Amino acid sequence: MSYFIFKRSSNGSFCISQYIRTKTRAFSSLHPLDNFLDSNQNSKVFDPGCSSILHNSLKKPFGSFSLLPSSSLLGSQNQHSLRLNRKGWIWAREFGSQAAIEPCTSDGLTVDGIASSKWTILEESESDWKSHAAAIAQSIQVIKRRLQWKKLMVRLDLLSAELNKPDLWNDPVHAGKVSREHGSLMGKMKEVKTFEQELLEHIDMIKLAREEDDTELESESMKALLRMRRDSKDKELEALLAGEHDSCSCYIEVQAGAGGTESMDWAAMVMQMYKTWAQRRGYGVTVVDEMPGEIAGIKRATIKVDGEYAFGYAKAEVGVHRLVRISPFDSGKRRHTSFAAVAVIPILGDGSSRVQINESDLRIERFRAGGAGGQHVNTTESAVRIVHIPTGVTATCQNERSQHQNKASAMAVLQSRLDQLEMARQAQMNSQHTQSLTEISWGNQIRTYVLHPYRLVKDLRTNYEVSDPDSVLEGDLDSFILSYLSASLDKGEGEQ
Amino acid sequence: MLKLRSSGLSCGVCANFQIPIPRCFMNSITTSSIDVKPKVPLYLRPPSFSASLSELTKWHKWAKNLASSVGSSFINLDNGPDSTLLRRELNWLLQDLIELQHRSVILSRLESGNNENPDVIVALRAPLEEMYCVWRQRIEKRRPFQYVVGCEHWRDLVLSVQEGVLIPRPETEVIIDLVEGVALNNAPDLAQGFWADLGTGSGAIAIATARALATHAHGDACGRVIATDLSPVAVAVATSNVQRYGLQDVVEVRKGSWFEPLKDVQGKLAGVLSNPPYIPSGDISGLQAEVGQHEPILALDGGISGTNDLLHLIDGVASMLKPGGFFAFEANGEKQCKFLVEYIENEKPGSFRDMNIVSDFAGIQRFVMGFRR
Repeated sequence: MSYFIFKRSSNGSFCISQYIRTKTRAFSSLHPLDNFLDSNQNSKVFDPGCSSILHNSLKKPFGSFSLLPSSSLLGSQNQHSLRLNRKGWIWAREFGSQAAIEPCTSDGLTVDGIASSKWTILEESESDWKSHAAAIAQSIQVIKRRLQWKKLMVRLDLLSAELNKPDLWNDPVHAGKVSREHGSLMGKMKEVKTFEQELLEHIDMIKLAREEDDTELESESMKALLRMRRDSKDKELEALLAGEHDSCSCYIEVQAGAGGTESMDWAAMVMQMYKTWAQRRGYGVTVVDEMPGEIAGIKRATIKVDGEYAFGYAKAEVGVHRLVRISPFDSGKRRHTSFAAVAVIPILGDGSSRVQINESDLRIERFRAGGAGGQHVNTTESAVRIVHIPTGVTATCQNERSQHQNKASAMAVLQSRLDQLEMARQAQMNSQHTQSLTEISWGNQIRTYVLHPYRLVKDLRTNYEVSDPDSVLEGDLDSFILSYLSASLDKGEGEQ
Repeated sequence: MLKLRSSGLSCGVCANFQIPIPRCFMNSITTSSIDVKPKVPLYLRPPSFSASLSELTKWHKWAKNLASSVGSSFINLDNGPDSTLLRRELNWLLQDLIELQHRSVILSRLESGNNENPDVIVALRAPLEEMYCVWRQRIEKRRPFQYVVGCEHWRDLVLSVQEGVLIPRPETEVIIDLVEGVALNNAPDLAQGFWADLGTGSGAIAIATARALATHAHGDACGRVIATDLSPVAVAVATSNVQRYGLQDVVEVRKGSWFEPLKDVQGKLAGVLSNPPYIPSGDISGLQAEVGQHEPILALDGGISGTNDLLHLIDGVASMLKPGGFFAFEANGEKQCKFLVEYIENEKPGSFRDMNIVSDFAGIQRFVMGFRR
């Protein structure tokens, strides 16, 4: 088992260099996170100078593809597709009403066939169509695993059936939800299908070009395959963030474990780690609630992380983080172990169905109120605590400069907490990611940071580790996050 | 602030520097001339000063230490601010000091103690010398933070304030909730009438009410607000706040005592709101230093029982309001609120309906409200 995990994580780190290359641009991050770009891996994967030239030359459209005969013409494939293929996927239900045919090339090659053909995968610079095709086919399999293809198909069927019900729109809220989810899953499925189709068409094209001795067409198709091979790596990573709420903004909450000032200091370090991580990614960061420690650090704090996929990434951080170091707060210079718990709450968009909050279920209290108040007191402390009486869920905000704004921020936190509670109750899906701070058990350690006697940060779920704790604590978290996401998704589908 | 800029306090950087009170400490209450010029709050000044990142870091460290040295001594003394609150104020001071563009980068830099590129120049809205000076005033003189930065965030507004003008309190925000939730909800027509905010101070209630009326009004017939205050400083500050929110056509600021400047709208008002002075005279000397030593006594002292002005308002409000008109006054807790309601019932029988006492978020009975019959 551990061998498997290790392989995964090293695989994951390969993805990361690719990922950073493509994604930082999309997120318009100010810092390209150069640390991740292991020059060694880089040169193995692609030649940056060459790739940009190729990229440009590949921009012209491939009009000739439309001339290709559709690969679904092959009658003999019909029978094949209705059986369970060797991967155990039932192809017949894929397109619902559409023709249930596993796409293939003119001579019957399917994507799975290519992937299992054991063609040698050479470096990208080698112009070998089989190598490219095999790499792409493998990627497609990874993407399908990450999208939880089987589940996705079952879910799509379910949603299609739901959509066909004549009385669906009697409940417009539910109907909207169903049709939104259907649309989004359909989009994901079609994207993969199109990608598969494209691969097969390019292969056909190359074969055709060779028969016709058309070197220009052959080299064009070869370039197209290479482009697909590169795109496929991006798609693998995109597939990591395909969860229903992954694209949402989120709150990150950190709470100090037992152990006084040392662990409160650790909680503050963890919070700082997330603040810089988020800022480097180009996310907006606002402190919503912060309860400082008496001497140093924080007892607990909540920040809001604003931006696309904030939740998708941050959810990988849920759990207990453990620190081992010589405490600066211990005059005896002894080694201490302290803990900080991290919870992540998605902020659902307006499109999602959110929990309706009744004004009458709320109790709004002035935080740290005392004395006569009103004109007697001049204070910039205007924090409020909102209690949702039926559930006992509370939210506090104290970092805004007016009570009105504190109340609005606290309401937003409360809403997200109640949404999270509802999500957990309804589906128990992804239960780990929707845990609140109070539910995270202190035994649920996910990562250890050792500053003494040696220096190491190790993720206990993936065994991914780095020997530079400082860079991690300065927000270099992506490699941990991505290796965890890929490990959990790639493992998840295999276990079904 | 102009005084400060020209004074060029180069000695401000050294730690043992004595506060030159006459030059550094501004007190505009002495400016009793009619045309008071309102001060520009820190966050609205141009970023025409600068300091290196290392200088800024040094100041920040110094200021943080000064805040920390307070501990809970002010709490014990007069329920004043503790270190935690002062450190949060320090962050806000930095927010106002540094221009928006680079703010988050610099703030996170200061917070993390990262000392790369110490020579980077940071644009500031005030000279660093002044920051040493004002932060000392905040801690040692207990000058209210809102006067230090020249503004108070109140509801969704940022209002200019300065010495001579009461700093609007968070409790008072609820008056606007009453206007929206009680008055305009029950009687939408009131959104088209004339409203009055008596003793407006910074103009907080008047401006927020005008904005509430605009969102509740149907069609083009939007209500208007008249804000009155006896203090010329308050009139000047309220006027500039009204202008900053582009409400000069909706809110009119008049100088005068309570109803005096409102003769022309007698019996026509749709609503009367006020946060009059309500602290009993005997309590004034024991007030928290930020309040007692810095805020205008005129806006605080409500006479022996604290109800002088409230009673005056209640006596006048029935004749000012049109039938169905709404009033809400802030008061000093349960005892005063109950007394006022009793007074209305005994002295003005049948004049009002739906009278109610409303608590603030601390659970203290704070507002008396009702409708004119």
